Amino acid sequence: MIAKNSVRRGFILPPYLLLLFPAVSFMLLMYAYPFIASFTRSLIDAQGNISFANYAKTWDLYLKDIVFTFGVTVFSTAVTGATAILLAVYLRFRQSPISRILSGLYKLPIFIPFVVVAQMMNSFLAPHGLLNIALAKLGLIDIDQPLQLFNFSGLSFGFIWKMVPFSVLIIHGGFQMIDDSYIEAARSSGARLFKVITRILIPMSKSSIMVALVLVYSQIVGTFTLPYMLIGGKSPTTITVDIAHRVNYFRDFGVANSLGVFSYFLVFFTAIYYLRSSVQKMAEVKPVEE
Amino acid sequence: MFSKRVLTVSFEIILLIFVFLLIIWPMMSLFIWSVAETWYWPSTLPQKIGFDYWKQAVGMQKSLAIGAVSIVPAFFLSLMIAVIVVVISMLIAIPAGYALAKYRIPFGAFILFLFLMPNAFPQQPIFVNLLRIFTKFGLAGTIQGVILVHILVGLVFGVWITNATFKSIPPYMEEAARSVGASKLRAFFKITLPLAAPGLLASAVFVFITSLDEFTGTFFVGLPFVNTLPMTLYSSSGYNMQFASVIAIILLIPSILFMALIQRVLKAEYVGGMG
Repeated sequence: MIAKNSVRRGFILPPYLLLLFPAVSFMLLMYAYPFIASFTRSLIDAQGNISFANYAKTWDLYLKDIVFTFGVTVFSTAVTGATAILLAVYLRFRQSPISRILSGLYKLPIFIPFVVVAQMMNSFLAPHGLLNIALAKLGLIDIDQPLQLFNFSGLSFGFIWKMVPFSVLIIHGGFQMIDDSYIEAARSSGARLFKVITRILIPMSKSSIMVALVLVYSQIVGTFTLPYMLIGGKSPTTITVDIAHRVNYFRDFGVANSLGVFSYFLVFFTAIYYLRSSVQKMAEVKPVEE
Repeated sequence: MFSKRVLTVSFEIILLIFVFLLIIWPMMSLFIWSVAETWYWPSTLPQKIGFDYWKQAVGMQKSLAIGAVSIVPAFFLSLMIAVIVVVISMLIAIPAGYALAKYRIPFGAFILFLFLMPNAFPQQPIFVNLLRIFTKFGLAGTIQGVILVHILVGLVFGVWITNATFKSIPPYMEEAARSVGASKLRAFFKITLPLAAPGLLASAVFVFITSLDEFTGTFFVGLPFVNTLPMTLYSSSGYNMQFASVIAIILLIPSILFMALIQRVLKAEYVGGMG
């Protein structure tokens, strides 16, 4: 061991520098630099001066869309979280042929890319789409007045559809880590199912639930495909769609970037939570040195 | 007790039907549209069903309908980009994942941060600025530019998955090989790499699917010249529902197939980054 250590001291460069160099320099150039540029560019106005003109313009033109984005995100995340917890509770407690079918079936949307989900919702939720046809057949709506879903409700439906399965996967994983003995102990001392859920399952898998909610929230804020194909340029729309309009029609990188900074602010707290908990988790599992 | 069981089972059956409808029904919409040759409102199902749009898509039949072009070139372009992206991403990701797993690194937290940030913040502003930077260097609207963006999206997952894989391999395996005289490099290639192979393969498949399905980055950096499959899907979705549905199904099948194969190897968090 001593000999090996003295040989290693002979190296000028530690080997990990070489191993990390390509990935880290790629990320610095292609991620860190554009990330910082989205702040600096947002402060440069059309005349090339440093000012808050882009933010003023964003505030005037897009405040409604920023509120809309926030509303859709909070609503979709809340419904996703509640639905996912209920489904995960069911899958945790019930072992039956039906629960086995369900545990395979529910995962399907996780693997479907957003661009396909967008096209799917685009045809499914259309005024003349499958949903409206079926609702009319059931007599729930008048066929001449189909539901208009290319708005808040349709967008939320699409997000929830895509995100619930993913959340169930994470939350159910957390529930599975809880030993049966805790639940049995609570049950034998007379706790009802509801109490077992609120006093044992949810508190003990708080971190999985939080990670699921945080990832769902930040993904929805940043998703472009679904709102772009579902709502497009209609008002109100999401920040991501506005950014695309700003860039494609006006080549206006100033306002596009200040919209981008607003979207960073929307995820500020969830991002900090996610980064902190992930780095902590990494620190718990200590890397093994040789 | 009997009635309680009946109640539970009927609740389960209702839940199953409900979940089944909720998941399969929107997907049915795609399949029906892809074979609907004539479908007038308010008919419940298409009046005429056939595979004309499929034939046009794979280039077996020519059509004058708007948006009904052959998607064969887009398919091969997407495939080529994805293969290049996988090769480059894995060449960069494997050393980085290994270093992060096996060495104690100064500024380690900063490097972890760098690879976690794309998950925590919206990526669209990054693509907007890359478009601006790429325009300066003549990379906007080129395949090279799109490849760089796809590597960016794939690399993060590549590094995390390879890192987790190398961490799961106990260090004494490599030590044992070295104690009988194998060099460090030899121990890596003979012991660690074969043990890591399944995880590395899963990581490569994941990067492949990510590239195949990538939309937002390609939209900003690649349009209007680089038409990958998702771009073709987008450009036909406005006026040719059938054709867009055909492409959507073509994109759907490899994603479900591959992800179903590798999902056991992956941590749930990575899977969420799809699409």
